[in-house]
Amino acid sequence: MKLSSEMAYKSADEMMFGTAKKPVTTKRGIVLGGGHVVPEIVPHPRPGSEKTMKTLLREYERANGDALERCVIVGHPQLQIENEHIFQMTHNPKWGGEIAAQSAKQMDDYLQKYGLKASYRSTIADLRKPDMVNMRDSDYTREVIESFEECAKHADIISIESMGGKEVFDHAIIRNDIAGLLFGQAVLGGRDMEWMWTQIVAIAKKNNCIPGGDTNCAEANTAMFMAGGFLSKDVPHTMAALSRAICASRTLVAYECGATGPSKDCAYEDPIIKSVTGVPISCEGKTSACAHADLCGNVIAAVTDLWSNEAVEYHDMFGGSTTAVFSEILGYDVAAMNAAIDLGYQKEFQACLVNSDKYRGPHGFMLSPDNAWQIGKALVDNNASLYSRAKAAATKCGELMLGDPLLKLTVFEKESLQGYMKDMKALPDKESDFIDMCLKKYRTVKGFIPAAYGL
Amino acid sequence: MKYLTDYANIFTRYDLNIEVARQAARKVSQDATLQKVADAVVQGEEEDAAKLTKEALQKKSPMDVINEGLIPGMNEVSRLWDEGVYFLPQVILASDAMNAGIALCEEKMGKAMDKKGKVVTHTAEGDIHDIGQVIVNALLNANGFDVINLGADVPVDKVVEACRLHNPVMVTGTALMTTTMTAFPKIASQLKRLGQNIPFVCGGGAVSEEYVTSFELGIWGKEANQAPGMAEDALSGDDWQAMRGKWNG
Repeated sequence: MKLSSEMAYKSADEMMFGTAKKPVTTKRGIVLGGGHVVPEIVPHPRPGSEKTMKTLLREYERANGDALERCVIVGHPQLQIENEHIFQMTHNPKWGGEIAAQSAKQMDDYLQKYGLKASYRSTIADLRKPDMVNMRDSDYTREVIESFEECAKHADIISIESMGGKEVFDHAIIRNDIAGLLFGQAVLGGRDMEWMWTQIVAIAKKNNCIPGGDTNCAEANTAMFMAGGFLSKDVPHTMAALSRAICASRTLVAYECGATGPSKDCAYEDPIIKSVTGVPISCEGKTSACAHADLCGNVIAAVTDLWSNEAVEYHDMFGGSTTAVFSEILGYDVAAMNAAIDLGYQKEFQACLVNSDKYRGPHGFMLSPDNAWQIGKALVDNNASLYSRAKAAATKCGELMLGDPLLKLTVFEKESLQGYMKDMKALPDKESDFIDMCLKKYRTVKGFIPAAYGL
Repeated sequence: MKYLTDYANIFTRYDLNIEVARQAARKVSQDATLQKVADAVVQGEEEDAAKLTKEALQKKSPMDVINEGLIPGMNEVSRLWDEGVYFLPQVILASDAMNAGIALCEEKMGKAMDKKGKVVTHTAEGDIHDIGQVIVNALLNANGFDVINLGADVPVDKVVEACRLHNPVMVTGTALMTTTMTAFPKIASQLKRLGQNIPFVCGGGAVSEEYVTSFELGIWGKEANQAPGMAEDALSGDDWQAMRGKWNG
């Protein structure tokens, strides 16, 4: 696998929502990144509906159907639906496949009846928890691969939220250990992704399906959510931001293995990914408040090609079911963005999105297009290894945070960041030396099996 | 791109307004050797804690080192966290340091130190998102509880069997997904049937108070850092109803 060596965009100024350098066309003719933004709704089934395939099929039939219907009711021209597998859908690969087939049929019907263009993304649940199973050789591993096979027959796009390195990451994130993040996220996570994505891309090609992308939800989002808002005391926001920069090294691997995008919505690292790869990205911000809070509700939309809500449990609201309501909200958000594009006001609109949150906190700051591009540049300029580019990205991110007086940091946040920078400076330059160091340091971390990563 | 220079009308950085002033840890021991042990815990220095514990054990009994050095150091860490001075990683590192010292003391005693009581912890079947449980384990451990850690993706029967075997003061369940938290009422139901009315604290991700308080034994845990306080209540004899009344609603 060749690590990325150049940027898709010459500057951050070139990056804009709705347009990607490498657009992707879905089965029913939606061009993702082709000039306009597309809403992406993510329904989640109610507890209890997972009991049988029949009950789950019915739940998704209603949840996905309500979303499609609401688009017709309010006049949204396009919709992508993502079904993120719950455990049972991947554990029983036929279930995920049947739900994908049913959803595709619903979309065909809506296209035929109303002309609504829709696309379907199956996101397989990565059941492999590194400290519980061998990542490359377990029943769960085989179920994951089989699920891809089943879903690729019907879905437009297949994706995953892979778990590589999670055992070391979890150990490190609660111990202020930046070396552990670099090792878990970049070195182990990247290796696991190469192993997994080579297979995913082959399955997608065989089935005329789009290999979408991956996300570091299991790690960088864990860090971000632990850092939380302005009241949390779990993890410094500056560490969560460094974790985000680091994870771009591993998330890029999907595209280096042949994934084409659209990227996964919960990959907050996506603006960095887009700057390097030019693939269409999916992002979530204020509209994912139904699932979690974040400090980058608008800025994260600045260069996105799909606009998502992360996940909403299917139940009733005053305005209809949640999937109907959120499809309407997402569609109207997107309508405003697309109107800005067609009026030629996209730069002004983008400036409003960026100024809303760039200085709200470290995450919004580093994911602002200008900074995301610089972090991407650090990645490609230091592409000797997964480790070297991750460390360069984190170092750049830290320098940017310390160097902009408009980004206010508490004393604790600033001192923590200065500590991480010092720690990173003291780490080996070469990946092989770093791996040797980490194999000793993390040998007692529960469930860490170097061989499961080819080490 | 045009940038604002003043964001006062856009957002408010409450974290800057409420930042707690840095403060030094208090002295917790009159004995200089044991104070050094406590300091190593407060600073979260695992290697130092082990080295200083070994030195202290040359002159002091293992229980003195535990009760007058390691545990007072950890109590000071808890105070700093409660007051908002410390963040979670500092607490975890301190816990690691304390545990390293305790392991050496136990080795010298030839037996494990007495713990306050047992707590069974698990993450629900079908759910592998267990970092919340990892934090709960560390905090309970740091507060002197004997944690029976069943790990993640744990079948209902295994949780019930562990409760039957260990008779804990409290059991906890963590779940990120609403479709895996459905294991919790099944566990509660089986525990009830066996006459084991153990307070069952459930939390994590999408687990809601409404859901957890819909079944007997259930107490909703909003944050991982509530676990030690809840375990203390259970240890002192509060039943699940009393705990629910205190922590929920």
